[in-house]
This record gives sequence, structure tokens and C-alpha cells, in this order.
Amino acid sequence: MGLDFGSSTEQTDGNIITTTIDKVVNWGRKNSLWPMPFGTACCAIEMMATLASKFDLSRFGSEAIRFSPRQSDLLIVSGRISIKMMPVLKRIYDQMPEPKWVISMGACASCGGVFDTYTLIQGVDQFLPVDVYIPGCPPRPEDLIDAVMQVQRQITKGELPKGSEVAHNE
Amino acid sequence: MNDEIEVTEEAQPLVLQKLQDKFADALLASSVIRNGVSVVVNKDNSYALLEYLKTDLAYSYLVDVTAVDNSKLESELMQYDYARFMVVYQLYTFEGETSRIRVKVPVHEKDLKVPTVTLLWKGANWLERETYDMFGIEFEGHPDLCRILMPDDFEGHPLRKDYPLRGRGERESFNFEKQNA
Repeated sequence: MGLDFGSSTEQTDGNIITTTIDKVVNWGRKNSLWPMPFGTACCAIEMMATLASKFDLSRFGSEAIRFSPRQSDLLIVSGRISIKMMPVLKRIYDQMPEPKWVISMGACASCGGVFDTYTLIQGVDQFLPVDVYIPGCPPRPEDLIDAVMQVQRQITKGELPKGSEVAHNE
Repeated sequence: MNDEIEVTEEAQPLVLQKLQDKFADALLASSVIRNGVSVVVNKDNSYALLEYLKTDLAYSYLVDVTAVDNSKLESELMQYDYARFMVVYQLYTFEGETSRIRVKVPVHEKDLKVPTVTLLWKGANWLERETYDMFGIEFEGHPDLCRILMPDDFEGHPLRKDYPLRGRGERESFNFEKQNA
């Protein structure tokens, strides 16, 4: 965390920590990512397993699943997205407060997977700024935990989510 | 042991006999496989036959309404005067010995209209909408015949054999404004 023990006098020795406000905020953010699940297929089952006691995503501070986009900052797209579902997902993403991160979980969300058909969007990155992709069909819970940790690493580094970069460029 | 097996002609189910008596001219074909009856009926008499099955023979459960595009199956096409589509009704009864019956109706591409059965089974509503969405078959008298699976502005009927699997570019050229409006 880049903590700096302040100048030591007899009273303050070991009792005062100096840091930057960004680092404290990011530390808080990374350890309390609240996911918004968007489960449309079997990947959602693996996501449920990740949240349940065996894999226990709460060890990483992300167990507070929010079914309202207004209370969450991590969108997990787990499953295939059809052309008809796309506006719904886009709307949910737009309703999430900044900063917000997006995980594209599994082959279908990332590239359409085996469903190379007329009705499926071939990858949600065609309309959402995806921060972390997870390969697999479906990915194991460890893969999802790894993706959450990867988002945490990005936050620790102070990197902006892809979505806000897009917003700034516009 | 092999000598003891007797091959017996399967007895004709009573349902089929009744249908053959009542709709002798309308039935184009019929078959029985493992006590499941399948009949092909011409379009003009399809509603009367389905009504008879519902009201008199207690086929109270409409399992499915769907269609088959036979345009690439020459043998089927020849059999029914080159009717491209076959609308299929799957029925089930909780009474009687023949619990399942399949009614097939050949439909020509020039005249894609079939009478609705929503008056007999309310559950036919969404099934007929799906068949309309996927094959473009119109069900006359349906209370709300519109697309059910594909977006409203979608063009074409994707389960037809001449529709390309990867679509006609819909998945690349989507339009948010249009869909949200």
C-alpha cells in the first residue's frame, strides 16, 4: 500500500500512518467490489458456486451481490447475449455508478462461443468496455476468482476502468 | 427362444379408427408407431379435426405447435403436392389408451395461412406466435400475431432452410436507439 510511517517522535511512534487519499480510496474499493450478476447461461451456475461456501468469494470482499445496478460497481456478464438482450444489458451498465468494471465471463460472453448464429452478439466487447476476459466453457470458479483479483490489481495500480477511458476519450 | 417370438400386427388404435371414419376424405396419411398416432390432414379440414379431438376425444392438452420446412427434403415434398411447410400439432390426453397424437398439416408457400387453434387451447397463443416468428406462417384469427423471440424490427424468418445460419448481418449492425425507443 505504500504506507509511510511518519516522522517519529516519542508520542507518535508507530501510531501515525501517512499515505495518499487515492491509495486509501483504492484500497477500500478493491476490497469491497460489489458485483452485479448478469447470468444468462451455465456460466451463472459457476458464478453461484464461486459465491457459495466452498469457493467463497467473500474472502475477496465481493460477496455482496447487488441485484440493483445502482448499488454495484462490478458487472459480471456470465452467459450468451442475444441481440434482443443487448439493450437490457447496455441499460444496466449505463445505470451503474462510476467507477465501474466489467468482467466478461466465459467463451459466449467474450466471443460468442459455439453459438456462431444469427441471433447472438459475438462478444459483449462490441458494446461494453470489458476490463477482464475469462476463457472457458464454462470457466471454473477459480478462474472467476482470478478475474476478480485481476480487477483488484488494476485498482491497486490506480488504473482507470476501460469504461471511464472511453468516456474521457469521448 | 427365438422361435417363440410372435410377430403380430399392431391393433389399430381406436382414435385412428374414429378419425378415419369421420374424416375419410381429409386424411392424407396416417401411421402408428409404438401406440403413438400420427395423421396428415389437409388444411381445409384441419380445424374441424382438431376440434373433434379436443371436444369429443378429450385431447385437452396441446403440447406443441411448430412447423417443419421441407424445402430441402424432396421425398417429403413429392408426397404432399410440393407443400413447403408442415405445421405440426402435438396433442396429449389424460384419458384413453392412445395418449399422444400428432396432427400434421401441409402448407404451400403461396398460401401461408392456417386457422388458429387459440379458441380450442389458449396455450396455442405463444406457440403460434413462435411458429409465425420462425417460419412466417400466419394463423388466421390469432388475437395478437406478432414476433415473440426475435426483435420486433427483425426481418425474415430464421428457421426457414434458406435463412443463413450466421444471419444477414443483424448481429453486426445493431441499433441501440431503434431498440430502446
